[in-house]
Amino acid sequence: MADILLDIQGLSLRYATANGPVTALDAVSLAIPRGGAMGLVGESGSGKSSMLLAMLGLLGKGAAVTADAARFDGQDLLKVAASLRGRRIGTVFQDPSAALNPALTIGMQVAEPLTLHRGMNWREAMERAEGLLAETGIHDPAAVLKAYPHQLSGGMKQRAVIAQALGCEPDLLLLDEPTTALDVTVEAQILDLLDALRARRGISLLLVSHNLGIVDRICDDLTVLYAGRVVEQGPCARVLAGPRHPYARGLMAAMPVISHAKQRLTSIEGNLPDLTLVDPGCNFAPRCPFAVPSCAEPQALAGEGDHRARCHRATETAALPWPEQDQARVSMEAAPERRPLLEARGMSRRFAGHGGLWRSLDWRGGWPKLAPRKSVVAVDDVTIEVRSGEVLGLVGESGSGKSTLGRLLLRLVPADAGQLEFGGTEVPLRPSSDFCQQAQIIFQNPDSALNPHHTVQEILKRPLELFGIAKGAAAGAEIDRLLDLVRLPRSYRTRYPHQMSGGEKQRIGIARALAGRPRFIVCDEAVSALDVSVQAAVLNLLSDLRAQFGLSYLFISHDIGVIAHISDRIAVMYRGAIVQQGEAAELLRGPHHPYTASLLSAVPVVGSARSQAGNRIRLAENAMAAPGEKGCSFASRCPQQLGSLCRTQVPAQRRLSNGVMMACHLPDAQLETVSLGLS
Amino acid sequence: MLVYAARRILGMVVVLFAMSAVVFAAIHLLPGSVAHMVLGEYATADAVAALELKLGLRDPILVQYWRWLSGVLHGEFGQALSIDQPVARLIGGALERSAVLGGMSLLLVALMGIALGIHSAVHRGSLSDRVLTMMQYTLIAIPEFFWCTVAIIVFAVWLGWLPATGYTPLADAGLLQWLRHLILPVICLSLGLTAHVSRMVRSSMLEAIESRYVLAARAKGVPERLVLLRHALPNAMLPAITVLAIDAGILIGGIVVAETVFSFPGLGSLLMYAIQNHDIPLLQAGMLVVTAVYSLATLVADLASAMLNPRIRLGGAH
Amino acid sequence: MTAVAQKRRRRHVPLILVVGAAIVVCMVLIGLIGPWIAPYDPTMFAVRSRMQPPSGLHWFGTDEFGRDVLSRILAGGYYSLAMGFGATAISLIVGVPLGLMAAFYRGWVDDVIMRIIDLMISLPPILVGLLILAVTSPGLGKTIVAVGLVYVPIMTRLTRSVALSVLAQDFIEAAAARKEKTFYILWREVLPNVWPTIIVETSLRITFAILLGSALSFLGLGPQPPASEWGLMIAESRPFLDRAPWIGLAPGLCLCVLLVAVNFVGEGLRDLLDPRMQGRGHG
Repeated sequence: MADILLDIQGLSLRYATANGPVTALDAVSLAIPRGGAMGLVGESGSGKSSMLLAMLGLLGKGAAVTADAARFDGQDLLKVAASLRGRRIGTVFQDPSAALNPALTIGMQVAEPLTLHRGMNWREAMERAEGLLAETGIHDPAAVLKAYPHQLSGGMKQRAVIAQALGCEPDLLLLDEPTTALDVTVEAQILDLLDALRARRGISLLLVSHNLGIVDRICDDLTVLYAGRVVEQGPCARVLAGPRHPYARGLMAAMPVISHAKQRLTSIEGNLPDLTLVDPGCNFAPRCPFAVPSCAEPQALAGEGDHRARCHRATETAALPWPEQDQARVSMEAAPERRPLLEARGMSRRFAGHGGLWRSLDWRGGWPKLAPRKSVVAVDDVTIEVRSGEVLGLVGESGSGKSTLGRLLLRLVPADAGQLEFGGTEVPLRPSSDFCQQAQIIFQNPDSALNPHHTVQEILKRPLELFGIAKGAAAGAEIDRLLDLVRLPRSYRTRYPHQMSGGEKQRIGIARALAGRPRFIVCDEAVSALDVSVQAAVLNLLSDLRAQFGLSYLFISHDIGVIAHISDRIAVMYRGAIVQQGEAAELLRGPHHPYTASLLSAVPVVGSARSQAGNRIRLAENAMAAPGEKGCSFASRCPQQLGSLCRTQVPAQRRLSNGVMMACHLPDAQLETVSLGLS
Repeated sequence: MLVYAARRILGMVVVLFAMSAVVFAAIHLLPGSVAHMVLGEYATADAVAALELKLGLRDPILVQYWRWLSGVLHGEFGQALSIDQPVARLIGGALERSAVLGGMSLLLVALMGIALGIHSAVHRGSLSDRVLTMMQYTLIAIPEFFWCTVAIIVFAVWLGWLPATGYTPLADAGLLQWLRHLILPVICLSLGLTAHVSRMVRSSMLEAIESRYVLAARAKGVPERLVLLRHALPNAMLPAITVLAIDAGILIGGIVVAETVFSFPGLGSLLMYAIQNHDIPLLQAGMLVVTAVYSLATLVADLASAMLNPRIRLGGAH
Repeated sequence: MTAVAQKRRRRHVPLILVVGAAIVVCMVLIGLIGPWIAPYDPTMFAVRSRMQPPSGLHWFGTDEFGRDVLSRILAGGYYSLAMGFGATAISLIVGVPLGLMAAFYRGWVDDVIMRIIDLMISLPPILVGLLILAVTSPGLGKTIVAVGLVYVPIMTRLTRSVALSVLAQDFIEAAAARKEKTFYILWREVLPNVWPTIIVETSLRITFAILLGSALSFLGLGPQPPASEWGLMIAESRPFLDRAPWIGLAPGLCLCVLLVAVNFVGEGLRDLLDPRMQGRGHG
């Protein structure tokens, strides 16, 4: 091949733990040509981030890194890594808030490598840093130079981190989940920036991500890691169009895709193998639906040309359909009744600023006076209904107030204004125990959702007793039934949360919500903390339970793919207000509210990457509205803003011809439609 | 930052007012008449009455408090009961000597504690780290008065190198003699606190060293020495300052003990003297001054960490 | 990694915990049965055997009144233990509920409790003791109360901060979604998660309670003579340091052994239960 910049052959990483030596990476090989971009994909525990640290020589004492060959531009990478860091290899870590030093200015941090590696003095370096910040798309680089990290937004911080990695004009940029901590519209901007940098500077990228859409958007080649081993490798387009290894195939099919919203997702059963036990054969075999006894033999990475997979049955299985292991037990088609179950009108909630009386004293002007407390509007005059048996998807970015809205509907957070009706009766601010039994919640983070000191049995028994459903032996039988429902073995009743995986804990959270036999459940980012394959299984489970019991969900998520997959109707939320809501299919088909459009165009989707980039709707920086102006909450970022009308008047909800409700001043003809390739 | 400082200073004033009330109330409201306390249990009724009249103890408590407080606000603490001297002068001199003792100890504690803590963190798991850790565990737990006692036995009684007790002013006896009286108390006061500070600095430094931003700095190719000095240390210093402020409070306790053992004429000795002689004006004033000094130390620490912490200095965290 | 996973992961019991615990158990035993195993009557004067150096007859020598130092130490161990455990118990009993309440109710309850705590903490620890003991006649009980009060703010603050983080967890919201009673939430959901931190802090706190208590006794503001509290014994020995250093050194060394052992237990428990808390403040 042409000019190979990075060529790693057989890199392994072992370290000692209390439970014996762990093989975190097992003979990983990858090569990146000069100017090329490689995506390294895998779920948590695959070893993808360790790979970066191993290459940089930053793994610390306990880790043993070996390789048959590791060459960077002809040099032995493992020997000279220390001299390449920051000079020829730049690194961008996952969470920019953690990766920037809180005690140093952005300018110092961006300029520092220049002073160290380029022999510049601080003044020269600062000037150059200003240029770098401008190059990464920061509007006011001179001001940002003097700012501290806490003064910047997440997207700005990540731009600064990228500027700091670019300073010494590296040949290779290592990116570790560079957009995972960011909102999807910000993520799109960062991805555009990476694209632009690659085109302009001819820099090579190694991008670590769990998101196939991002990798497809940025990279030429793709390496799929599973439990420390490369299972598939090849050009992005070919791998993603026709994955050969069953794991890669499962991973692809487990992703909810907007364009095939109602397809049942493929889930991969089981858990990651124990890395202390080295499996000479295929380490995916225990979870593989196509496994045969010969899979216990060592497997080689093989295939036609540059698309290779570590599976001796790849060609055979490619033609086979994926055997469904968690068959839907109930048909999805049961048409939901469409009577409203829960109706909220004019719901509002403000949160007071921090601090008590003491901190609300205003000190400006020398003498303290009692200032009106600064308050943040979390939910602003929202009217919403959830019908019996339906899933209402609520999508929005962080800070949009969607979680608060979910809690308002359960009366977990008292509303400042608005009425709530459930099953035709008014729900008071302090709801009855009956309402609590009927309306439950499932949380995002399985670790925080379960009390670490309670066993599964204790967790499930409490609501049974509290709601008077079962006591004593009957409760035991009911717990078994609940565990069956969420497809966990009955033996799990004696387990503590730490003895279960994330997906299993999430199932217990679901079982707890189901215990009171509710009619309505708020699923607050219920699958967001899970790996793709586990997420698919939990989404399938939620769909089945809903069909089985005629449940209604308010399904809250930042991931519009997940929302499109599970929802009957969708509501889009921006800064406390619902900007668009309606039947899922109609809403997705368009026309779209400018914010919905930007959200949809920002999602990196496998396959549509190249075509999508040009159509992306670019949002203005997230600026606050001018004081005194109270118009459309989206006006300050809206690419189609109509001027003072948008800035001063709150748009009313209006019904479009397809029945979708929208709050926007734009006339119908000017509303955009984002092409999603809907079938 | 200015707003923050103003807020903290006002807070300190509030605390001092509250403390003046608490000290006053504790002495005057708790069971047992003040006059009896001064004169002893077997005083005649006449003597008690006379004293109560003289001290104004028959006035309503709020009037007494106001009289005392307005005096304090004018820097007028009244006359000591047991010695015929103004309280202000007694306390002024004692405070000066105690401040020297406390200041030297705190400086030693800060320097040694921070240096040892950083050393331990950087050489984590090494022999010196483990030895230092065991020493910390041990020294934290040993009381000052034990060190004081041992120091007198060893250095004053057996070796005869240093004076066991007393104090000579710098102006009268010269630097050497002055220092000879300070060495033992300062060292005895510093041992436990140094252990404590170094332990805290070690853990905050370790936290900084294990942070993502230090990893990011290494990935930028920053040499290890600069990683520690420029990236880890500023963040590790914040908790260290808070710990030093807390330790200033413990140090005050130590000073009372050490001054008693070494017969050092400072504020601690004066307080003990006031307690033993039931000298109410002296006791009230002494306690208020000690509280004020401690509040000031806390204030300085808070302002210093605010200066070091851009989040507080600039406000507006995202 | 989650707090849970850290808590339950496999770990060995630190050596200092074992050593410390063994010594503390011995000291507690001595404190309890000391007066009965003492070779002499600890209060008996023997003018003819004053200030005798340690010997086979008097292992730790005799004091200025001819009392056997060993016997006095054995009889006095009880005081240090009572001060350590008693004062810590007071700070626990008062501080933990206050901290839980402040964290749970927030708002003005939190404001009021924490302002009082701020006020208490703005006094140097020894002053609280001095203040209480200066105006009432000293004694063991009052010393215990004084030292206990000094450490109430620390317990309150710690409990509040840990409880706040527990209360922010989703399982608390799940309980609220079931309409659980406040008491159930605090007792069954919050407290089990707060205990490990409080246990560690308590064990460390005992060291400082003994330290402060013995310092107050040393200053004459604790148990009164002829009690043989160790701090008091050291104070009483001061005039004779030049002639009979054993009178002060023997109880001093015993006190140090006790304190170091108690501290070892605390540090060991910290390593065992709460590795992330390494190096929290005392004071």
